[in-house]
Amino acid sequence: MRQPEFQRLDERTIDVRSSRRALLGAAGAVGALATIPVVGRMLQLGAASASPSKAQDVKILQLVLQLEYTQVAFYEQALRQAGLTGDLRHFARTALEHERQHLAAIRKALGAKAGAKPRFDFGQKTRSAPAFTQAAIQLEDIAVAGYNGQATNLTKGTLAAAAEIVSVEARHAAWVRAIAGQVAAPDPVDEPMTAKQAAQGLHEIGLRT
Amino acid sequence: MDSFEHSADFLTTVDRDGALAETRSHAERTLSRRRLFGMTLAGAGAITIARTAGAHAAAGLPASDVDILNYALVLEYLQASFYTEAERSGALTGKTAEAARIVGATERAHVKAFLKLLGSQAVKRPTFDFQGTTEQQRPFLKTAVAFEDLAVAAYKGQAPKLQANPVLAAAVGIHSVEARHAAWMRQLFGITPAVDAFDRPASRRSINRVVASTQFIVSRPKLTGRKKPEFTG
Repeated sequence: MRQPEFQRLDERTIDVRSSRRALLGAAGAVGALATIPVVGRMLQLGAASASPSKAQDVKILQLVLQLEYTQVAFYEQALRQAGLTGDLRHFARTALEHERQHLAAIRKALGAKAGAKPRFDFGQKTRSAPAFTQAAIQLEDIAVAGYNGQATNLTKGTLAAAAEIVSVEARHAAWVRAIAGQVAAPDPVDEPMTAKQAAQGLHEIGLRT
Repeated sequence: MDSFEHSADFLTTVDRDGALAETRSHAERTLSRRRLFGMTLAGAGAITIARTAGAHAAAGLPASDVDILNYALVLEYLQASFYTEAERSGALTGKTAEAARIVGATERAHVKAFLKLLGSQAVKRPTFDFQGTTEQQRPFLKTAVAFEDLAVAAYKGQAPKLQANPVLAAAVGIHSVEARHAAWMRQLFGITPAVDAFDRPASRRSINRVVASTQFIVSRPKLTGRKKPEFTG
């Protein structure tokens, strides 16, 4: 399978000025969420509205990495525990395969800067087909909104590579909705999420660490 | 990025299920009849955007963004007209009719948004002839799948070229909606909504070539059946 051309970002040093600005910005946004280490790191990104740079790409891809880890773990666990059958099982298997490839591409791009696999607690969301369906819709919507929210923060090269992933997440979101008998594309334009909102959404789904 | 310069490769990728290719061959079969009626087939000519003179872009947008927005507008016109015509034909039933109604409303909203954004610099709506694909459910779905996959690849190809951040933010929000539509239409047609882990972009040239090959864009309204006015002057 061909991967998008994410540029390797780990050889670059993070621009001190922009990361400091991000940290200072984050200080104002620290709430209960920031006590969770991974979410705390992501909050820094929410404040990093500096113009696109390789250093900022790294931070954004680290958030994306958490997202892809969450998706892989969610589908793996659901396929083991949720008793998925028929269309829903086919969807979960296909989505898992895609998310694994996304994860591999993001890890490769981040190289040594890729964080370790986080822990998860999906609770009941991976234990029944109806709960799985609702959580999958939520998770795929977070993926779309999270990627879209970073479009203007990414360098053009990384944006082009990320764009090859986000539309697949959108296809997943519509697919699982269609299986559930819902309107598959409810809005004319997908609303973006900030990094903070995306991190909060992932936490609600079950991302820990 | 522009790795689809060979139209055959492009068609087999974007048009995985042969809808556009089939439509094209249908168009070729009917070509002689169409020539008989003296119709001018504009094909690629119609989608080639009339470049606006001068550097005064709409709402202070960079000229290159205006150009890309007009290109997107033509694709939105195409989709909006397609769904509207299908809805009016009354040929769609059940879930497909419902989806066409919702997706059609969305495509019309996209057209409206681009018209507002572009103001006087917006290109005019071309005349379309969907070659009967809006009059039966299966050909409708097959063509819808092709259009939506095409739109996803088109937006993906242009997004990194947009300069103004508000325009980019809007474009990515539409890009993912087109992907949702593509998945929905695929599901209704009975094929996998998400085939690969990565969706590839397509260049403008490739998109134009595919659109031209369908012959859905005609240069002027159908004249068939229209009589000359009885009185002139």
